[in-house]
Amino acid sequence: MRLVVDLNRCQGYAQCVFLAPDVFALHGDEALLFSPRFDEAQRDRVEEAAAACPVQAILVDYSDEPTRGAEPHVG
Amino acid sequence: MTPGTITAQITDYANRADPYPLYAELREQPVRREDDGTYLVSTYYEVRNLANDPRLSNDTRNRPPGYARVGHPAEETGLPPSFIFTDPPVHDRLRDTINRPFGPPHSPRFLDGLRADLATVVTELLDAFEGKDQVDIVEDFSYPLPVTAICKVLGVPREDEPRFHIWADALASSLDPRPGGDDGQEKAQRARQDMGAYLSDLIETKRRHPGPGILSALAPDMTPADLEATAVLLLVAGHETTVNAITNTTLTLLRHPDVLERFQKDPDLAVPLIEEVLRFEPPVQFVPWTTALADIDVAGTTIPKGSPVWLMLAAANRDPKRFEDPDRFDPDRKDNEHLGFYTGIHYCFGAPLARIELHAAVPELFRRVKFSGLLEDPPPYRTNAVLRGPRHLPVAIEGLTA
Repeated sequence: MRLVVDLNRCQGYAQCVFLAPDVFALHGDEALLFSPRFDEAQRDRVEEAAAACPVQAILVDYSDEPTRGAEPHVG
Repeated sequence: MTPGTITAQITDYANRADPYPLYAELREQPVRREDDGTYLVSTYYEVRNLANDPRLSNDTRNRPPGYARVGHPAEETGLPPSFIFTDPPVHDRLRDTINRPFGPPHSPRFLDGLRADLATVVTELLDAFEGKDQVDIVEDFSYPLPVTAICKVLGVPREDEPRFHIWADALASSLDPRPGGDDGQEKAQRARQDMGAYLSDLIETKRRHPGPGILSALAPDMTPADLEATAVLLLVAGHETTVNAITNTTLTLLRHPDVLERFQKDPDLAVPLIEEVLRFEPPVQFVPWTTALADIDVAGTTIPKGSPVWLMLAAANRDPKRFEDPDRFDPDRKDNEHLGFYTGIHYCFGAPLARIELHAAVPELFRRVKFSGLLEDPPPYRTNAVLRGPRHLPVAIEGLTA
């Protein structure tokens, strides 16, 4: 599970840091830091954070996770 | 305000259950002047631009004499306005200070740390549904949770919570622009004083014996008057708005059985669904306390310096130029940059707490309770047009899962 933040869009509202503090952090008042990879335990929090972003700058990618991304190869 | 103006219609209780046709009418003229010189702005991009425009003030003392000075305690009280009714640099100084024990960068885990406690409260509230065939979602569920949440944030002892219900009600109704009648304003002033007296005692206690919550953390850094104003603001804002958000989500889901059915099969739908309710039925419908500090040109109209400006968030959230098919409740909507929590420097301070409460409440409510339907639709609404929401939401229930 991966995520990317479009830092050109990010305006430092920090909603993601409140909702998923183990994945996102503020350095100083505005610079956003984030872990581009996160594990299952953080999934709900990351979903909340991405949806909450007031400028919709967070993209979450599940393509490396067979149950949610592309259908696993069958047979 | 003269009867017949659109502001009179918006504040008219008869339109409370469904103000959206009025908002659609408003959007036909994105910037509209009322006879008393108030300007209403109702389209998405214009609202968003103005909310981010430093020439628009949240300090109603910038209005000429004769206009309502929302948010400013009468001079004889000696109380300062809370930070929502201030501008930079005072605003930024206060908000940064208050944020220090509340959120990042200094306290990024404070609210996340409340999740387990809030989940416990939700469980207790839902356990009490056992054996009932009808409940009032407002009284029995939406109302108690935010009181507990905000008291935990501030560090107010739980046994004092019932008093806050009464004070918060009186203060919230004072934000409501109503034609005629200062009764609400007087009641609000009294409630503010009573609550203020209680809080200054509590702040003094916290100063001497620090405990959990942000009041203890802030006591050394703020004047007692500023801290008291902040506590009042957070209590009022934490109550009414979150109550409405939880209730509106329940109401909207029960009105959309197709979405409800999907949600029950796929609890992950909670995340986009909650954001869509914040667009579709925002708990703060409009912001009637801004003032132009200079002549501002918006969409071909000049708003003159000193004019009261109402930013119509609920109308902007249904602007077809921004949201496709805006009157449709659609949790699959992409790019949902709604204005439910406002935008710019006054973006809702409590938004993350509200979201944490919604995520604690909504999925668990619909996982555990089997609903048979609304008992009244539309439900009875509170009088408030700004902090709009049902006063009661009676629903029939068939059962409760553990």
